[in-house]
Amino acid sequence: MTSSRHILDSDVFHALVRNRVVVILGATLIIGATMVPGFLEFRTASLGLDRMATLGLLAIGLTVVLIAGQLDLSGGAILALSGIATIGLQEQLGQIPAALVGLAVGVAAGAINGFLVVVLRINSLVATLASMLFFRALCHLITESRPISGIDPLFGLVVSRPIAGTFTGRTLLFFVLIILLHLWLTRSVAGRQLFAVGSNPASAEASGIRSRAYLFGVFVFSGTMAGVAGVIQSLSVNTGSPVFGENIVLIAIAAVVIGGTRLEGGRGSALGTLGGLLTIAALTTAMEYQSVPAYLQDIVTGVILLLLILLDRTVSGSQRRDVTLVALVRRARSSWSSRKNERTPAP
Amino acid sequence: MPPPTRTVQSGLFSRYGARLGLPAGIVVTLIVGSLLSDRFLTVQNLTNVLINMSIVGIIVVGMTFVFVTRGLADLSVPATVAVGGLLVLGLESSIGTLAAAVVGVLAAAIAGAVNGWLVGYAGLNPVITTLASGTIVLGIAQVFVGGVIVYGSDPDAQAFLTGRVFGVVPVIVLIFLAVVAAGHLVLSRSVLGRWSYAVGSNPSATQASAVPVKRVRAIAFLLTGTLAGFSGVLLGITLQTARPGIGMGYEFDAITAVVVGGVSLLGGSGTVLYAFGGLLFVQLLTNIMVLQGVPTEPQGIVKGALIAGAVAIDVALRRRGGRE
Repeated sequence: MTSSRHILDSDVFHALVRNRVVVILGATLIIGATMVPGFLEFRTASLGLDRMATLGLLAIGLTVVLIAGQLDLSGGAILALSGIATIGLQEQLGQIPAALVGLAVGVAAGAINGFLVVVLRINSLVATLASMLFFRALCHLITESRPISGIDPLFGLVVSRPIAGTFTGRTLLFFVLIILLHLWLTRSVAGRQLFAVGSNPASAEASGIRSRAYLFGVFVFSGTMAGVAGVIQSLSVNTGSPVFGENIVLIAIAAVVIGGTRLEGGRGSALGTLGGLLTIAALTTAMEYQSVPAYLQDIVTGVILLLLILLDRTVSGSQRRDVTLVALVRRARSSWSSRKNERTPAP
Repeated sequence: MPPPTRTVQSGLFSRYGARLGLPAGIVVTLIVGSLLSDRFLTVQNLTNVLINMSIVGIIVVGMTFVFVTRGLADLSVPATVAVGGLLVLGLESSIGTLAAAVVGVLAAAIAGAVNGWLVGYAGLNPVITTLASGTIVLGIAQVFVGGVIVYGSDPDAQAFLTGRVFGVVPVIVLIFLAVVAAGHLVLSRSVLGRWSYAVGSNPSATQASAVPVKRVRAIAFLLTGTLAGFSGVLLGITLQTARPGIGMGYEFDAITAVVVGGVSLLGGSGTVLYAFGGLLFVQLLTNIMVLQGVPTEPQGIVKGALIAGAVAIDVALRRRGGRE
């Protein structure tokens, strides 16, 4: 017992936990590469990432929501709704204006969530649960529960075709956005203030940060990202369907949490989310090449998610500890020298 | 013992608004329904409403405990319902319906216990935990049946559940009302009930007064899992067919009922009877919409608006009552 506690408390263990995304991603890639022939080929990677792009866009929005200490379950429904707008309005408005309307639907849906949470002060879980039901019902109502198709199947190729032999348009868009998010979170004042709001909205408010504005903003942002995901998803398949994105929110939350963002708010990073998404992409690709049935994949994703949040909880007491590589080396050196001092008798 | 309330002082509306709003709403719904359709206020129709709410109603009882102990919500309900339904139909030909039903409920109870351990003892966030455990449990259930539909082979059990005592009251409604009564007694009269309110209203103070906070919160999830499994068993037997998606939407329906019933998401207040009232209200409303020929899909819009409205009122009343 004492030895296991010792291990749980050691710096190395903490460093592993802190950088678990890298550890897990590495492990997944190694296992994938040994089990699946051609796993590390560029084409496989490009295809796997392409399928993750929609999920990734949702996860970008969720990262911000989770850092603010909130939750948004309505992303999948918003995705479907904005997709339906994008496809359904093509005939009347033309393709690009329709896509813009789809985007606007996402923004508006996010604003509704923000209104429920910030103005009516409804707990974000219940609020987004309610709005999820609402948006999904709206999708079914508009389309009479039937998928609708667009006017030009070739229009969506922009997003789903590899650009210059590299990644597809949507994958590149995802990469650009996540890097922008990383820069915003780490380099901008607003980004850092978001973390303060997430750890304690009241004390953030007391120190002059407009917490409520930030909370409203994160829901608008999350809705917008769901809108982007919906526009891109529906354009790529030239279809809008009321059942799009039905289970996507859980996987997106899983990706964000695997990336080390905490549900309690105040901690998280865009690069972590990127790592989480890459892990899920690698995992899904590997399992699909091994033709593991979908429900077994669900089990694996669920178990990994549970283990990770459990692990996070076990070490959360001492999360503040500095476990960067430099700090570890410095601490090891100082403990080494102090031990040497003990051995030398005092003059 | 009257249910503990959190309203502290001030106006008549905030003191009685939350209490009387729901019964008044149900009465209004009944009046409006009978005005809109002459089929509404018939024994036949109202019995149908009761039958329709029985399956989800059993889950509502468990969900009330989760809410009262400030456990947020149990989103693994669809999975546990499916486990109950799949197991009872999958096993009934080999071990008999009764034994299969017991196995189904027990399996769901195990899932509930794991949720309880993770949320109560390990202190994980209930939402993400039950979302994740739900996918795991559903996956395991699908492995069990190979991902397809299971058909029942015991029409007698089906006939029993859909049959009526004295030719009037359906058996399934009696079971449901028994669960509601038991749940109400436990929450309002037992030590566990008093502890549940204490844990929900102030966990740290309750911890200090030597109440097993972790265990109480774990029991709430154990209860919900078990009851959802039981409800799945009943659903499976009545339909004589079960697929993994059988429980989809029940978690939202249960949460809607509990929230509309004025059980606070912040824990510490609410009763099983009010949750029952919330369910009744929603079901009557749905029934009116069905009788008026409103298709299923827009009903989600009404439900979503109901949840948001009910919680907003709850929060507003609470603030006027001097809390928050």
